[in-house]
Amino acid sequence: MRKTLILLTLGLQLDAAEPPLTFNNQPMGTLDRPLVLRTYVPDPGIDDAVFPQHDRGRPVAKYNPGIGQDVKGEIQPVAGIAGAIAVNFGPALSYVFDTTECRLLYAWQGGFLDMTPYWGEPDKGSRISFDYIPRLSGTLFWQASGKHPVEIGGKSITDLGPRVFTGYHLEKGVPVFEYRVGEQHFTFTLKPSDQPLSFAATLTGGENTALAYHGIDGAAGKGSVTFTVTGSQLGKFQGYKRVNNIAKASAEVGEKLFNQYGCAACHSTDGSASHGPSLGGLAGHPVEIEGLATAVTADRAYLLESIKAPNAKIVKGYPPNYMPPFGLPDVEYDSLVLYIETLGSPE
Amino acid sequence: MKTTFLLFGALATPLFAGVKFADCYKIEDIKLPAGSPAEVGAIDFADDGTLFVVLRRGDVFRAKPAADPAGFDWHLFATGFHNGCGIDVLSPTKIRVTQMAEMTEAEDSDGDGTADRYTRFASGWGLSGNYHETNSLTRDGAGGYFLAVGTASHAGPTFFHTLGTFSDAGRRGRNYSSVKWKGWVLHADKDGNVTPWASGFRMHNGIYRDPQGELWCGDNQGDWKAATPLYHVEKGKFYGHPSSLVWDPAFTKSKDPLAYYREHLDEYNRDRTPAAVEIPHMEMNRSAGEPMEFPAGNHFAGQMLLPDNNGERLTRIMLEKVGDTWQGACTHFIDGRGLRSGNHRARFTADGKQLYIGQTVRGWGIPAEGLQRITFLGPTPFDIDRVTITPGGFKVSYTDGIPAEMKDPKRWKVSSFTYQPRWTYGSDPEDKKDHAVTVAAAGDKSVTLQVEGLAAGRVYRIETRKCDSTGGSPLQNNIAFYTANALPKP
Repeated sequence: MRKTLILLTLGLQLDAAEPPLTFNNQPMGTLDRPLVLRTYVPDPGIDDAVFPQHDRGRPVAKYNPGIGQDVKGEIQPVAGIAGAIAVNFGPALSYVFDTTECRLLYAWQGGFLDMTPYWGEPDKGSRISFDYIPRLSGTLFWQASGKHPVEIGGKSITDLGPRVFTGYHLEKGVPVFEYRVGEQHFTFTLKPSDQPLSFAATLTGGENTALAYHGIDGAAGKGSVTFTVTGSQLGKFQGYKRVNNIAKASAEVGEKLFNQYGCAACHSTDGSASHGPSLGGLAGHPVEIEGLATAVTADRAYLLESIKAPNAKIVKGYPPNYMPPFGLPDVEYDSLVLYIETLGSPE
Repeated sequence: MKTTFLLFGALATPLFAGVKFADCYKIEDIKLPAGSPAEVGAIDFADDGTLFVVLRRGDVFRAKPAADPAGFDWHLFATGFHNGCGIDVLSPTKIRVTQMAEMTEAEDSDGDGTADRYTRFASGWGLSGNYHETNSLTRDGAGGYFLAVGTASHAGPTFFHTLGTFSDAGRRGRNYSSVKWKGWVLHADKDGNVTPWASGFRMHNGIYRDPQGELWCGDNQGDWKAATPLYHVEKGKFYGHPSSLVWDPAFTKSKDPLAYYREHLDEYNRDRTPAAVEIPHMEMNRSAGEPMEFPAGNHFAGQMLLPDNNGERLTRIMLEKVGDTWQGACTHFIDGRGLRSGNHRARFTADGKQLYIGQTVRGWGIPAEGLQRITFLGPTPFDIDRVTITPGGFKVSYTDGIPAEMKDPKRWKVSSFTYQPRWTYGSDPEDKKDHAVTVAAAGDKSVTLQVEGLAAGRVYRIETRKCDSTGGSPLQNNIAFYTANALPKP
């Protein structure tokens, strides 16, 4: 108990300072201090019309560096966004703003990016060849399509000239993106909304002109407009998939998987608070569930269900839709449960 | 009896053992914040002595250096940079960082200790999606910068959507330039307006304008880079890697410069500007980091330091100008002795008494990540002080008195070879020759060697046997390589 208290105190202090990036390849921000990460990000299949200010990467003849000549075959480009900025508010919201097109590209919930293929494992540091684009983690619920959505005076800003990114500033830690078209300056801010699969956006620009965000009902005003966008589930992502060849379930394997799958990003093992319920002192103990009058016991069946279908029983005080379901082989589920069971009693 | 012996020992040591490495240099690991991946992309000092460190995942920390290498009080100043590999600290509250897609100014405008404004300072180069396209910077002396924009690697792809115009011809080959200004040095003026400056680089990981205004960068041995070069960079010149020429409107020989120069090697040699100094890849430096001049007050003041990103080594370069041509010699400054690998960024403290080295390899081999500090304790080791070319050979000077046997020509071996950069990954030495040596002159601290058959366009390996100085100090380096681009007039 005392240990837990100390850990809780330490946890609070860490949250109060700016949390630096660590070897955790699934970094997350918080509602108060969103994480801004410039990196290559995945392209979940966005409409080509969104990218008029990009060029097209084309296939190239395979090159043999041993003989210094092209050989049979082609190397294809891969999907990814080069000049984007990814932002995360914890499980509540992640999004990608592109500095080349100067617009929001997509938004998701329940996780952020798994940097493993790009940053590599701490001891090896090797990126995954030709497949190093970080992976999404969570539920994708909105993505851009068509031409740039901002209109002033009833005209698309694409008619006024190229969109030029100029930077961003932080307002209470929240990035406000800045770009211009000619001498007309715009800002764009995104925040989590209290609705599921939603975000709240603020657009400014064109001070005395009608300003609108095309395609969103009611997203119109003079000089500044704030609106909420609710999407729908477009895809579920589980970060970077590793290959595990596990013969027999065990707590040791479970601990390894716990780290591999980045569970630690949301679940502590020592009872301290995090994005998700702690696994320390959980197994065999009562858990209060939203919508249920009586507590349930965190037995094997409960733990299995909670990993397989995280929304089945939502722990009181935690939001739904944040933990992605992990499509794992049974031997991995069993290992994770065995590991969580070892955390059931305080040391 | 025992006490007497100890006393005698303590007194006798400095008299007979002379100056050893450990008497001259102390190498320490600087502890970065616990838990932070110490992948140092770039380092720089503010005028008030605050050290800023850019880590490649995106964080920038700052601290006032402490005497205790584990006692730096680090604060997170800024975050969110994509593989930032160049930094200029304008003030303790304002920095500029070259990251993959742009150069960004980060400023703490509200005085709370962390940056809150991130403004694009310069852009205009593309980004293909390849992992290899990192950038670095040096001040231009007029409020602007020279930027080194690296090429992409064939070990990685491009994206379907590229930032900037895509060139099919530029995409070909090993290291490539599929989008703009990969393999170039660019100039950004004080307002951030970018113009191309010089072409033909492969991976010039670090660029440096010296106090006299001369611009230098290294490169990485590989395709079209025979060994590890140090280039004297001048506007409009081509330094040998053809892919960058797809972006040069003045290059009209072919739409496919890579294929063209592969087939026209003589023309290639006429068109390219060779390295001021060729640094043998195995013996000296496998992958050049950022050049940096030894400051006033240092024994090697005015000479150049070149970190080895792929070895536990720092190279010392002794430059000279023969007519209009830069050239010179290289030897080790530090080889091993507790130095980590991954060396690529270098900064001396304002008093010149300490040298900070930023290190990272992550993604290119077994990680060797961190920050080390070399403290100059005062004494100078017995070492090669300088190698200069003479009309008939070389004058090799030392930092301490040389023993009589060093003046014996039989103690010396001089051989030479040429390098031909081409499409291969590095080039072996060619046309190897041994040269007969006589001692033309000798002083207390120098030997002038007469080298038979001395010719321009060759790299000379100059070796003597290890020995102690007249002061009893062990010789640190007995081998130097001299790149003779030109010979002095008799």
